[in-house]
Amino acid sequence: MIGIFKFIRVNFQELPDKCFKKGIGCVWRRGNQFTVFPRSQSVNKTTDESRNKTDDKILNIRQEVVLFTPILRKLVNEANGTYLSVQKISETSKTTDNQVDFLKLSRQYRSIIRVCIESLQEAASKEKDGIDKNTYLSYLTIFYSIECIWHLCEILYIDIIPGEVVLPFLLEWVRFHFPCHEQTAAQLLESCEVGSEDHKDYWDTVIVMIVQGRIDVARALLKLHSAADSNEFKLVDNSLRSMPVYSVYGGISTGEFTISWKHWQAECRSKLNSKVLQDPQLELVMRLMCGERSAFECVSVKFSSWFDLVGGWVLWTAPWTRRGELGAAGAACAAFTHTRGPLEQIVRALLDGDLHQVIREIQQISDNNWFAAHLTDMLYHCGKLRILDIHQADVTSRLRDSLILEYGSLLMEHKSLWSVGLSYLCGTPEGVRRAELMLERMPIQTEAKAMRVAAEAKKYGLLGVVQSVSACMSTRHLSGGAERTGGALAWGARARSGPQCSRAAHAALRAHCAGLPLPAADLLLTAGPALLVDDTLLLLGKYCDFHRLYKSREFRKAAKLLVSLITSNIAPEYFWSTLLLDTLPLLETEEPVISSEDTYDIMLCLELRSTCLSKEKADLLRLALARNLARTVLVDVGDE
Amino acid sequence: MPLDVQGTFVSQKINKVRWIPEDYMETKHFFTGSWDDDENCIKVWGFETANEDEDVEYPRQLSEYKVDGDVTEMKFTNKNVIAVSISNGDVKMLEISAYDKEAPLKEVYTWNNLHNYGVEKCSCTSLDTLEGDIASIGEDGNVNILNGRRGDISQTIKGADSCSLHSVCFIKLNEVITGNVRGHMKIWDIRSSSNKPSAAFLLAGDELAATCIIHHPTQPHIVLAGSESGALALWDLRMNQFPTSLLNAHGGGVTEMQFHPENPNKLLTTSVSGEIWEWNMDMLTKKMSDDYMPVDDKTNMNVNSLMPTLHKAINTLHCDRGRTLCGADNEAIYLIKNLRY
Repeated sequence: MIGIFKFIRVNFQELPDKCFKKGIGCVWRRGNQFTVFPRSQSVNKTTDESRNKTDDKILNIRQEVVLFTPILRKLVNEANGTYLSVQKISETSKTTDNQVDFLKLSRQYRSIIRVCIESLQEAASKEKDGIDKNTYLSYLTIFYSIECIWHLCEILYIDIIPGEVVLPFLLEWVRFHFPCHEQTAAQLLESCEVGSEDHKDYWDTVIVMIVQGRIDVARALLKLHSAADSNEFKLVDNSLRSMPVYSVYGGISTGEFTISWKHWQAECRSKLNSKVLQDPQLELVMRLMCGERSAFECVSVKFSSWFDLVGGWVLWTAPWTRRGELGAAGAACAAFTHTRGPLEQIVRALLDGDLHQVIREIQQISDNNWFAAHLTDMLYHCGKLRILDIHQADVTSRLRDSLILEYGSLLMEHKSLWSVGLSYLCGTPEGVRRAELMLERMPIQTEAKAMRVAAEAKKYGLLGVVQSVSACMSTRHLSGGAERTGGALAWGARARSGPQCSRAAHAALRAHCAGLPLPAADLLLTAGPALLVDDTLLLLGKYCDFHRLYKSREFRKAAKLLVSLITSNIAPEYFWSTLLLDTLPLLETEEPVISSEDTYDIMLCLELRSTCLSKEKADLLRLALARNLARTVLVDVGDE
Repeated sequence: MPLDVQGTFVSQKINKVRWIPEDYMETKHFFTGSWDDDENCIKVWGFETANEDEDVEYPRQLSEYKVDGDVTEMKFTNKNVIAVSISNGDVKMLEISAYDKEAPLKEVYTWNNLHNYGVEKCSCTSLDTLEGDIASIGEDGNVNILNGRRGDISQTIKGADSCSLHSVCFIKLNEVITGNVRGHMKIWDIRSSSNKPSAAFLLAGDELAATCIIHHPTQPHIVLAGSESGALALWDLRMNQFPTSLLNAHGGGVTEMQFHPENPNKLLTTSVSGEIWEWNMDMLTKKMSDDYMPVDDKTNMNVNSLMPTLHKAINTLHCDRGRTLCGADNEAIYLIKNLRY
């Protein structure tokens, strides 16, 4: 809500002061939009002139949605595919364990984010306009942090880690997201000159490599020092080389490993205490290796944030840490610095295993909740999410549903992305109802879109929407006049709506009474069972058939049909005169075609409804009926 | 070689995609037409390699032409000129330069509001071209025959249908077949002055729209229509009235069909249910001449899926030798390579 209020303040400047004198009104529109308009207290006499002169403006105000920019639309669409795969797999995973599939999909999400970052980078480098460039750069910041958090989440909750020992993954995460002095190291190693310590970043690079756990690189760099052959360097190198590394498949248990590792570190500590190390930087390296808190505190200034240190901290203090036990490491590292950015908060919460807090924090990222919705959904399906409310009730699925709902509703607002939004909404029970309401209110310009909306609605079983969309199209055709009766009837039949067809049929009959030719003959003559939806429509169809028979001079059949239309009494009041007068030419044919019995029936109907004809016409008809009766009373019209 | 599918997201729902033909070499350029977006456009794309050492080619946008409405159909009238129907009732002929594909498209002729309900706008739903002539149809139920060489309307069949028309196809120079929202098909003789179809028949009994019509490239009396229900109907026009075959095919409406230009026995179809299939039509078209196809032969018909089913509609396809392009509602275009034909 706060975002919207900000918007009003900006936009109000566009409203001339005059508007405020009249008072101001505001109404909600579809989705997250509303309209501000000047509300006049007195009724204005609007003439054409004054209408043109008025300063009144109507302002449509909507939330700015980052995801609707072209580059991010790719992300929305691609992620939708992955989201639907997650749903499909979670269906099957009720019976089988699909951890590997989930991991694959999580990686897919990450690669989608990566593609998005790359196209943002490309766009930012091409963009010349300063403001637009900044926008791209700010999107980049958002997606860099999303990528970073998703990766850590994947390691902590989705990935399959043998023995749960998280260290190698954690180091990989640190190296990937916070590359630092990597190029310097590469340069130094490439030039391979002894005496590299003259490079201004030499020691910084060595220390970063130690902290990031790149032992091989650090050792190679140390070899380039001019004093590499001295005892103290050899000592450090030896210690680095002999460090035990844990591997699940290494054949030793964690307990055994812990003992040997502690033993190794004790050795390091004794070397440190023996004061052999003269070089202060080398001493710092050794102190880091011994996991000394003060050493880490000392190097923390070299890093932009504390989570660069997490990998090193775990590596040099407790490499056997399991993935659920990273909270302490997080707390220790966070204590080194005082920066408290949002990303720091989220990583901290993640290490603590407080997913509720994580989700709360990532909802603050201004990506319109793309990340929150997808990550929550992923974790939920992996079975790693368990969130309790203040009454200790399990609200995990409610949280996930509400995030998905919000994200889906947001997409429904967009002209093109509505179908993506629909696939999110229809994944939750409440969403289906919401989708129904939103689909019904969607502006539809063409029949092609109407058909597509109906097809999508049908896919999710929203038959009510199919009906209302068709009925809507039918009404639109109906209001277009008599020539469009065909369209109205066709869409009315699609809606299977009796009342809709009845309205269209009445309109057609009335138009015919007013002297227009019968519309939609091609439709009515081929409609078949669709006519049975409504009585009036049936009458119209049969009446149309009567015209066809009459035109093709099949008077016998035409007469029979007309008589049955008259005697069945389904015609509306206004149509009786037309129906009765249509008998006139058939009564006057050379060969009689209406039998005496039928003539009696028509006579009866005429007398019952004589009011619908003028006296002159009624008399004319009476005369014709009498003459026909005279002709047929002796030799009746035989059956064919 | 196995089929190779490569998708590119383009941030617009693609309703039509067409390769731009090239003499003596494999074309690298194509048109796309978008629909259902705030602002729709026709774009020209070219396949380019990002790095020289890479084999994969990615489409890059070369030019853009904005239109006021959905692009409903695009067909070539000659090698460089494409006729486009737009949902605001316009028909345009656009020319692409043969030498500089990045140059903006040039308007050759424009018929504004060709289809309309009086003052109200009405969608021009489709068109077909034959030797420079264009037959356009609209929701108003009219058929317009346009002369693409002179740029005038040579004939209008007013009220050709009381409902909206959704598909059209030239059978001969003087005959077009149209299909409406109810699946009612009518054949029109353009030379006759009366507004009466020379033949009319129904696609199926289900009152659903005929979404696309094509004829067989070598046997023009064989006409195929795709239905909104996903069914495929086949007529021998020498004995129309009832389709010779009605195949329940796709799970959703058929959106486009194309016979492979190099092999008339291969048919490709796309659908609203997100499928793209290739059909082996040997059996069907061979049997056409003498009698109905026996039921057990129908089951022998070869149908392959070219791509895993998408979760959104595939709206269009166009193939050029072994490469097929298709455009979908998930705002992506897919290039399928190594299609055997």
